[in-house]
Amino acid sequence: MSVVGGTAGETPAVPPSPLHAAATHRDAAAHRRVLQVLRRSESGVWRWAGRIAVMLPLTALVFVLAVLAVKAAPAIRVNGWNFLTGSTWNAGSGYGGVTHTDGVAHPIGAEYGAWPLIAGTLQTSAIAVIIALLISVGCAFALTERLPRWISRPLGFAVELLAGIPSVVIGLWGILTFGPFLAAHVYPIIADHMPDVPVLSYFRNPVGHGEGLLTGGLVLALMIVPIISSTTADLFRQVPRLPKEGGEALGMTDFEVANRITVPWVRSGIIGATALGLGRALGETMAVAMIAGSIFQVAPNIYSPMSTIAATIVSKLDGAQTDGTGFAVATFAELGLILAVISVVVNLAARGIVHRTSRLGGPVGRGA
Amino acid sequence: MTRISRAKRLVPAVIGGAALTLAVALPAGAASVKLPKSGVETPSSGTVSETGSSLLYPLFNLWVAGYNQTYSQLTVQTASTGSGTGITDASNGTADVGASDAYLSTSELQATPTLENIPLAISAQIVEYNVPGVTAHLKLSGKLLAQIYQGKVTTWSNSAIAKLNPTVKLPTLPIVTLHRADSSGDTFLFTSYLSKATPSGWGSSISYNTTVSWPNVSGALAETGNSGMVAGCKATPGCVAYVGISYLTQVLQAAQGYAALQNASGQYVLPSQGSIAAEAASFANKTPANGTISLIYGPAKQGYPIINYEYGIVNSKQSTTSTAKNVRSVLEWAVNPTLGNSATYLAQVNFQPLPTKVEAGSIKQILKVK
Repeated sequence: MSVVGGTAGETPAVPPSPLHAAATHRDAAAHRRVLQVLRRSESGVWRWAGRIAVMLPLTALVFVLAVLAVKAAPAIRVNGWNFLTGSTWNAGSGYGGVTHTDGVAHPIGAEYGAWPLIAGTLQTSAIAVIIALLISVGCAFALTERLPRWISRPLGFAVELLAGIPSVVIGLWGILTFGPFLAAHVYPIIADHMPDVPVLSYFRNPVGHGEGLLTGGLVLALMIVPIISSTTADLFRQVPRLPKEGGEALGMTDFEVANRITVPWVRSGIIGATALGLGRALGETMAVAMIAGSIFQVAPNIYSPMSTIAATIVSKLDGAQTDGTGFAVATFAELGLILAVISVVVNLAARGIVHRTSRLGGPVGRGA
Repeated sequence: MTRISRAKRLVPAVIGGAALTLAVALPAGAASVKLPKSGVETPSSGTVSETGSSLLYPLFNLWVAGYNQTYSQLTVQTASTGSGTGITDASNGTADVGASDAYLSTSELQATPTLENIPLAISAQIVEYNVPGVTAHLKLSGKLLAQIYQGKVTTWSNSAIAKLNPTVKLPTLPIVTLHRADSSGDTFLFTSYLSKATPSGWGSSISYNTTVSWPNVSGALAETGNSGMVAGCKATPGCVAYVGISYLTQVLQAAQGYAALQNASGQYVLPSQGSIAAEAASFANKTPANGTISLIYGPAKQGYPIINYEYGIVNSKQSTTSTAKNVRSVLEWAVNPTLGNSATYLAQVNFQPLPTKVEAGSIKQILKVK
């Protein structure tokens, strides 16, 4: 290119001649050939870029799990099954000396059982998903079916904006404003009226100071509402008008139309969106670390302080590094591995449900 | 001051015996570093990085500003990352100086035997509380605090507290214990105090560490960082918490009280310049060459019972001689009683200077860095 262009550029002042015309013709032909070669290689480049891009996420997942497993290996060997069921979290004292178990060095007195953290992770996520799902479906329904466009558009935008607020900011709001408000004005009302029967007794006094399981779950719900509601609203917009109008013609109320036609129509999509939200709730770290109370226990009631896997990793990893034997860090890798496995299992389960429900077929006249 | 004058006296002798010393020292490959008259080696241009303790971080920033007034050729980067990260970074070379409130543990020294913990200044810890209506300084003992943190004393009006504070009208308010969620030098200090005050109680069951297995106490909360402790205590009437003395200003701003703690002689002492210095003096002769000693519950009659050395964690084997010299220069400046250890810097965070004897020991440790 540059050589050919160079000869043309050297004679700009010379008036056009037949020779020059021939030269430009040759140039154009060369240019075309180069373009052809580029185009051919371009498709190859694209193909390979695509192949690499599609492999990257899978490779990253396998890599992360493999590295976690390797790093966690000494901890898995020493902690054993007790790590899943035990409720002791004692780093041991590095000042007290080092001992060996199965050839793995660790501080004397080190004993780890992560059950309260596993339970806490599942509890906060369950609360978050139940509440967020109810709010999101209601929100999506209002945005797509009930509200006039001039309200629903800015409202929908505001809901999606919520997803962009950093979790540390939400955590700060939760610990300074939301938690204390709930503990002072909302929780006492719930706690005072709950009968002392199984399940509901979990909601009885004392209500604490606003840092705990329920506050954590509620804040998590707030964080995943945008994920679920924006997807659900998009899904609702895709439900054709005809079956809904048919339902109305048959004398169904608005609620019945929503309950029997709109929601079942997109059920698998809602489950998929919920799985996304659940994934976020399971792994959310900063907000939970700030408002869950960070106490290592299975919450004795729903207001009690507790902690989750992710929150514990972020708040205790610094200290784990002071364990010169590296055993504490290995234990945290094991904790991370458990969280990764929980996330993968949850996602696979959601996928299975989506697969099953999407085969069931819709209600009246699906695909009309 | 004594150290500098001693160095002055040594100068002729060192020059006189230089030929002999060099002949002996050089084959060993370790030319000994000697402190110049000014007390601070002149650094070459470059960068020294510091990470670690959030308690030492504000002071370190003050130090850097002062240090750069004289030695602008050296850039000192500081970061507040927590003591654990500071120690790890110093041992693997990510940072040149790690800051820690706690001395190195046996396991850390086994992992990296060339690490030095060098005392840089003296800090103390206060026990704060948020008890509405109580304006006086409450008297609290280690035994009582251990009972509170084990859930054996659960209200402020408990007779055990009332007995120590007969003139104070205590409300019938549940006690909410706060402890650190993250691993912390402050937890190390507080649990050391509880352990030493009740060796057969807290000391034998829970003991001391940067994180401990806290007993389950109803309503107990965990907070991250000193600022988290102050904020959490402010939001929670009935709370009791332990925070570094550099946060005293924030505690007072939040209108919370802090306790007079019982020392080993049975006296109830408030943290003050005098009581901290008295406690520090009682440990000056006992501080070993490697700086590793707990300054908790000392014998001083009027000493405040929870004080500690703030440590600079440095690997004595540095990658280059110029980095080693720069690190030495910064630390020599920091422990110098007329420079970094003067009240100009320390008073701003309520820290106290090192006793002369300890400072001489720190200089010896600093000169080991090569």
